[in-house]
Amino acid sequence: MRTAHGLIAITAVVGLAVTGCGGGPTTQASQPSGEGGDVTVQITADGCQPQPGTVNGGVVNFKVSNKDAAAVSEAELLSGGRILGEQENLTPGLDGSFTLQLSQGDYQVYCPGAKQDHWDFKVTGDAKNNWKNNPDLVRATTDYGTWVNEQVGQLVSGTKDFTDAVKAGDADRAKVLYGKARVFYERVEPVAEIWGDLDKNIDGRADDFPDAKDFKGFHKLEQALFEARSLDGTVPVADELYTNVGKLRDLVAKATFQPAELANGATELIDEIQKTKVTGEEERYSHIDMVDFKANLEGSVKAFSLLQPALSKIDADLAKTVQDRAAEVDKALRPYVQSPGYLETGYVDYSAVGKDQQKALSQSVNALGEAMSKVAAKVA
Amino acid sequence: MSSVSRRSLLTGIGALGVGAVGVGGLVAADAAGSAAPTAPAPQIVPFRGQRQAGIVTQQQDRLTFAAFDVVTRNRSELVELLRTWTAAAESMTRGQQVPGGASQLQAPPADTGEAAGLKPGNLTVTIGFGPSLFDDRFGLAAKRPALLRPLPKLPPEDLDPHYTGGDLCVQACADDPQVTFHVIRNLARLGAGTVVLRWMQLGFGRTASTSSAQATQRNLMGFKDGTRNLRAEQAELIDQHVWVGAETDQPWLRGGSYLVARRIRMFIETWDRDYLGDQQNVFGRYKGSGAPLTGVSEFDTPDFAARDAEGGLVIPEDAHVRLAAPEHNNGTRLLRRGYSFTDGIDPTGNLLGGLFFIAFMRSPEQFISVQRKLGESDALNEYIQHIGGGLFACPPGVGAGQHWGQSLFA
Repeated sequence: MRTAHGLIAITAVVGLAVTGCGGGPTTQASQPSGEGGDVTVQITADGCQPQPGTVNGGVVNFKVSNKDAAAVSEAELLSGGRILGEQENLTPGLDGSFTLQLSQGDYQVYCPGAKQDHWDFKVTGDAKNNWKNNPDLVRATTDYGTWVNEQVGQLVSGTKDFTDAVKAGDADRAKVLYGKARVFYERVEPVAEIWGDLDKNIDGRADDFPDAKDFKGFHKLEQALFEARSLDGTVPVADELYTNVGKLRDLVAKATFQPAELANGATELIDEIQKTKVTGEEERYSHIDMVDFKANLEGSVKAFSLLQPALSKIDADLAKTVQDRAAEVDKALRPYVQSPGYLETGYVDYSAVGKDQQKALSQSVNALGEAMSKVAAKVA
Repeated sequence: MSSVSRRSLLTGIGALGVGAVGVGGLVAADAAGSAAPTAPAPQIVPFRGQRQAGIVTQQQDRLTFAAFDVVTRNRSELVELLRTWTAAAESMTRGQQVPGGASQLQAPPADTGEAAGLKPGNLTVTIGFGPSLFDDRFGLAAKRPALLRPLPKLPPEDLDPHYTGGDLCVQACADDPQVTFHVIRNLARLGAGTVVLRWMQLGFGRTASTSSAQATQRNLMGFKDGTRNLRAEQAELIDQHVWVGAETDQPWLRGGSYLVARRIRMFIETWDRDYLGDQQNVFGRYKGSGAPLTGVSEFDTPDFAARDAEGGLVIPEDAHVRLAAPEHNNGTRLLRRGYSFTDGIDPTGNLLGGLFFIAFMRSPEQFISVQRKLGESDALNEYIQHIGGGLFACPPGVGAGQHWGQSLFA
């Protein structure tokens, strides 16, 4: 669990209590980096012509090499005579690079000592690559918003059933309803994590609360049901949990999303699996980690599948790699599917999954995470 | 890195004022100069050549060793990874980052970054192929050298399967441990979905020397145990004992070498309370000088026949130096390139450490025969146990434009 600073763009920040951890919602996500790209500058006795000579605004990486120019040993990027970046001491045979964030404008590459020592370099506008001009991506963001709201709606009703059972003192029923409610939280966790303490109050672990008496939320009730085996004193905890998921629903209803945020959220869900599900950390009392595992995966794959039409046009290989690796994870999960399964979860009790089996699960998840982490830059 | 000056950093931020929409100023500087092939910069060991670097290369101080298993069933994916790994390894040996850039704010940087600004440290990255790679998954069964099969049981070993074997191995050696770790970390990351780490070992100090320019380091028992190692300067012996020649049934391995790794635990606490006379008898050397018990200085040739006044052998029958000596192994020699390691303490609270033995040889039989002999009677066995390792076939070096495994997968 972490505060997802700058993950989700909120268009209407109304009445939000931004407290704790310093990581409330932000009104702007990190700007897409634009195009930029690599520019090759080969120093020769004749000059240092940049290739290409024009790029779109964004992060530009200048790769400078000196093939055989004995009298020239540096290249600089100038704007109005000022040095913005440079690579010095490049004697013949050496290369190096420097990277700059550049905006629209006219620049020069300067290589003192060469026959022609100034070369024009142009940066064009940044807007061309705006995702808002890509209907596939616009649709992805709106569809994701619809889906998240639907999930949070089900979280609220599932939590109602669960907390009602807790309050009624029906432990057996509560144990079954616990997992059924949590699915909806685990699918949209990165979204839920942006509101500071709200995630901690809903999904925090005992270790997240310096004072044990402050421990609350799903996992407090999990502990009561599965470890303490006593529901004494849990009514206020149940009520507060239900209130908090309601707050979450209201906040989510006001959120809008950007494509890179969907992608980063998809990666974060994979990270969640690797850090807290495969290890058995999150559901340490109930051992329903398989439920969370599958729900994280579903949330991740959902976000990805919405981006897929756009991504397939931008980078078909990456789209296929992610899809293949997600299928591998799904395959790795299959041996643990059971019907109706442990506590009607559809899966086995995670405490029965051995260390070597956990390792194999983790490795397939890691492979998916590495691929997924490359998606955001493609759709930003 | 000195070539990006503070001036350019400051004016880079100043560039914000120039354009209209800039958000970040200077984002990154990746300016490690690279070397011209004709004039290697200090601390750069050439990556390409007839032989793989990291074998007769003067032994560096630190090691990170990793064994990988291949998880893909797709041969071309594996070949593609070996191509990617080659480019990354070559770049890192030149003190540069893993190719791919770090310029997109919405993408994780291609390189993990912890070696930026560090010296190359004479980094070498050496690859080997384990027997298990040559099954039916990639159509390599017919490419398996006959000598490349899992090592036989060599009592008194107790190998942990979690620290044994592997389809591939990578040995990263440098004079900076962060440089070697950076290699394995980045190769593992590039390999996600194609390979998984099977096991990994950090070595914090070399225990051998592979060049006459180097002094012999001590092992964790406090002894010099590599004095009689092969040296790079002994070209004829190296050819004879280290490089696979025309005798191999697999042309792709010609000019390569077999790598045997053994994770050897030392029972440090019990060793430390053994009395000095016995410690010296166990090795057959003086602890202080490193000289054989029949000599006065480290490089004196042991006199295995010498007897004391009572008629007993000066270097005992079961002394390590005697049993490991080429004189008692039909002339068999190995190029040892091991490192001391520790992984903290074991569950019973004892120090967990010892020797991560690495040796290169023309045939695995060289190790097997010597180790059989040591296993039977070495006095050292009371204080050590082999707990992991593997056998790998290291192909010859890569030439210009080639990649790891190219001749194997051809």
